[in-house]
Amino acid sequence: MNILIPHHWLLEHLETKATPEQIRKQLSLAGPSVERIQEKEGETVYDIEVTTNRVDSMSVRGIAREAAVILDHAKIPAQLKPLHLMKFSQLQPTTTQLLPLPKISHQLAAVKRITTVVLSQIKPTATPEWMAKRLRQIDQNVHWAAIDITNYVTHELGHPCHAFDYDKMMNLGGKIIIDIAKKNESFTTLDGERYTTVGGEVIFRAQDGTIIDLPAIKGTLNTAVDQNTKNILFWIENLDAKKVRFSSMTHDIRTVAAELNERNVDPHLAEPTFSFALKLYQQIIGAKIASNLYDYFPHPQSMKTITVPLAVFQRYLGFSLDQKIIISILTKLGCKVTQEKQQLLISPPTYRQDLAIPVDFVEEVARIYGYHNIPNKIMGGTLPLKRPDDAYFDLEEKIKNFLSLVGLQEVYTYSLVSEKQALKSGYQLKDHLKLANPLTEDKVYLRRSLLPSLNQVIAENPTSTDLELFEVAKIYRPTGQETQLPQEQMKLAFSFRSNYRRARGIIEGLLDYLFVEDYQFITNKNNTQAEIIAFKKQKHHSLGIINASNITLPASSIGLINAELDLNSLSQVAQSQPHYQPLAKTMPLIEDLTFEIAKNTKIGDLIAAIKQTSPLIHQVELKDVYQQRYSFRLTYLDPQNNLAAPDIMPIRQKIVHRVKQRFPAELVGKV
Amino acid sequence: MTIDQFNQQAKVVLNQFAADLTGGQIDQTRYFGKKGLFTQLAKQIQQLPSEKRGQAGKLLNQIKRDLTKNIAATAPLNQATQQSIDFSLPGNKPKVGHLHPITQAINQISRIFERIGFIRVRYPEVDWDWYVFESLNMPPNHPARDEWETFFIDRPDTTGNVAYDPKQLTKRHPKMIDGGKLVLTTHTSNGQVREMERLGKPPIRMINIARCYRRQQDATHTQMFHQFEGLVIDKGITIQHLKGTLDYFAKEFYGPKAKSRIRPFHFRFTEPSFEVDFSCHICHGTGFVNGQKCKLCKSGWHEVGGAGMVHPNVLKAGGIDPDQYTGFAFGWGVERTYTLREGLNIDDIRHFYNNKVKFLEQF
Repeated sequence: MNILIPHHWLLEHLETKATPEQIRKQLSLAGPSVERIQEKEGETVYDIEVTTNRVDSMSVRGIAREAAVILDHAKIPAQLKPLHLMKFSQLQPTTTQLLPLPKISHQLAAVKRITTVVLSQIKPTATPEWMAKRLRQIDQNVHWAAIDITNYVTHELGHPCHAFDYDKMMNLGGKIIIDIAKKNESFTTLDGERYTTVGGEVIFRAQDGTIIDLPAIKGTLNTAVDQNTKNILFWIENLDAKKVRFSSMTHDIRTVAAELNERNVDPHLAEPTFSFALKLYQQIIGAKIASNLYDYFPHPQSMKTITVPLAVFQRYLGFSLDQKIIISILTKLGCKVTQEKQQLLISPPTYRQDLAIPVDFVEEVARIYGYHNIPNKIMGGTLPLKRPDDAYFDLEEKIKNFLSLVGLQEVYTYSLVSEKQALKSGYQLKDHLKLANPLTEDKVYLRRSLLPSLNQVIAENPTSTDLELFEVAKIYRPTGQETQLPQEQMKLAFSFRSNYRRARGIIEGLLDYLFVEDYQFITNKNNTQAEIIAFKKQKHHSLGIINASNITLPASSIGLINAELDLNSLSQVAQSQPHYQPLAKTMPLIEDLTFEIAKNTKIGDLIAAIKQTSPLIHQVELKDVYQQRYSFRLTYLDPQNNLAAPDIMPIRQKIVHRVKQRFPAELVGKV
Repeated sequence: MTIDQFNQQAKVVLNQFAADLTGGQIDQTRYFGKKGLFTQLAKQIQQLPSEKRGQAGKLLNQIKRDLTKNIAATAPLNQATQQSIDFSLPGNKPKVGHLHPITQAINQISRIFERIGFIRVRYPEVDWDWYVFESLNMPPNHPARDEWETFFIDRPDTTGNVAYDPKQLTKRHPKMIDGGKLVLTTHTSNGQVREMERLGKPPIRMINIARCYRRQQDATHTQMFHQFEGLVIDKGITIQHLKGTLDYFAKEFYGPKAKSRIRPFHFRFTEPSFEVDFSCHICHGTGFVNGQKCKLCKSGWHEVGGAGMVHPNVLKAGGIDPDQYTGFAFGWGVERTYTLREGLNIDDIRHFYNNKVKFLEQF
């Protein structure tokens, strides 16, 4: 939550000579963070972030109270000024023409306090310029005095309050029933918006059941103050914070009042806020107090006492802080502190509901003492050694480094995809995890494949004609089991704007680099894709699929090579070092053979056929392709004896014969 | 022997030589020694018919010249043997790709923390509400959850089957209830209780780096981003250790002049909670450059993330006794942390995920 505080308004509660820059710095270091200082209508205005647990600081006085302690501790003299407001016990009607209070029925446990009084002689008075200026400075709209006073006092002292049109209220039956809404009741807020209840909201009803207020959040039109209002029912309620939040979130009515009330604003704050508002109504509008005060406050919060062992301070701070300093800081923050041997009995003020457990007091002492006064130190002690089994971060880093160095570009694409992209994965929509509350249409489903996203990147960079991309990221698979988390699998995906041989070569190079010892690319029957399979210890591991796809650009369509590998499977066959083979004592013999091969022949099968011809054929590589002529480089190796040219002659003859028999292929030249 | 067979054998020697050439320096004796490949080929000439020996001799001379010249060229670089080189020629660069900047940042961050004994982990990105919020001391419908802008998975919510009880947090553990709400992780903090469960007991030094998701989108927010989370739990862990670790990271990641500081903040899962700032590399934390306000930071410091001492309720949710152990945790955005480095003043973090090649190629 942020609050705007004009400097001069702050000084009405804070006695100090500190400059705005000093206040900004010291508050940010030890209390609420001043995010920026603005100049508005010739004055400094602080924009302050107040954390959600510190609703007590959501007012001019709340910030002044913090600033007084913080500045003083930083040796910049500062003091919180006393409030001079009438106590409830002193409050009396100021007119003899008394008006009856409506009958209030409050059976609910959710009601913590209700305070109200009737104000008469309300005239349509313009908001005085000094107040209007401050409201503008804090980005609030200026209406007229009868309304603006409520906003002004809330901002200054921190408890939301409301003004009803008293006569409208009495014409509706003169009764306020505090109740829980049923489903499908309707109400219209004072800005004319119509709502229907879902059931469970705390509401105020008139005698006939009509909803006449959405308390602690926003007033309704049927009881709203307007230019014709003659009498006001000035009102403060304090309700159960959870109830307030429920209504406010359900209907998305996020007002200042709701934000304060849903965070347990201190009901004791009702008294000064109420008195201050009455003072302003009388001064500015000339209103009269026309009834006795109604104050329903069944359970005033007494100060709770928390036992805090002194050792807890050392436990968190790492050093022993003088007890006098601890007690002095807590006392300045409004706590009552007594020492009992080695522990403190601390009663925080009612507005500090956030102080509940011993470590909360450590925070208070440490921040005021100054976090910069605590030394920096790296911990010693035992190191944890148990690593997660499935994390393979080293493998991931190795893969990424290799791929980038051989010319590929790494990308990070969104895990969330559109319906169209989701379908491109080959899985139906029902086999995807879907967001219940997507922000944009292009990010609705959690993806099953990285490839549609990668191909999209290629389409979005049409001028990079040699783009080769990879990404390492998760895919998400619903398990269909209510009690199981979806499966998340790490994938390594490729999209190449280059040819199949280059793409496959990159993957083969990677597998070699990772010391995957035995792998094959196995083409499917329809010849639409190949499965990459690795073998280790007689087990086969499917690493993934390589295939082709097309993307359409405005001017053309381009073919891509895609591959997606499973990182977990890869981790099963990758090794951090090879199995060392003793160096051969004999020399290999190398020769090239060129075949004229008919179209649509599977070259991979042909290579395998050559290789199987003799155990002396150590390696067969495809060296060159020219039209239908394919040159293979053969390496012959006999681990026992050095081969000479005559030794390989019969093998060569066998190869040529075998190839000719099995494939439509003919050797170029003579055997 | 026919001349064709002789030629075929010569071809084998030449192919062999071509292959040897790719392997660097070649030993003269491999070809010209007593049993050298060339020597053996040359001996074959005697088996040819005499009228073909002249043709074969020419070929042998040609091969000998080529071999000799090329073997010399494989010898270590020697100025005397080099012909004149045009040193003004441009280089022929290999095609090199690029690691995504987020990968580069993650690698550096991991290494810094691994040096002081942190173990990197990976946890679900789609996780039970319990790990993301509830076990972190954020009961259902608590206002503190508003800041997280959470994405929910479209499926029935069964969280309500067991009532929320702050004293019996573990009672609502997903193992005890029938599923529960599924959310996209809004922060890496879901790893906190998961790591406590994985290790069973301290010492814990975890670094969790992962994709996170929030329902927001503008120049400083993308629906997907990365966070890194540190968690240390042991006996005797204090605020000093948190401060020391933050300062160590600042100096390792931003350079020896970098400083860190903590300021009060509030998170439900830490107490005390802090906001973490690093000093600006332009003005070194002073806020001024040559008497003028620093244009980059305006105050001397950059806010990078949150930190705090692990809340006793979170320790309890992870099965760790808060009377015996204390701990600290921190979590920041990778993108923001990275762009605060010198020279990386990237004004719009959406660049990281738009994947424009012109952007990516710079890294």
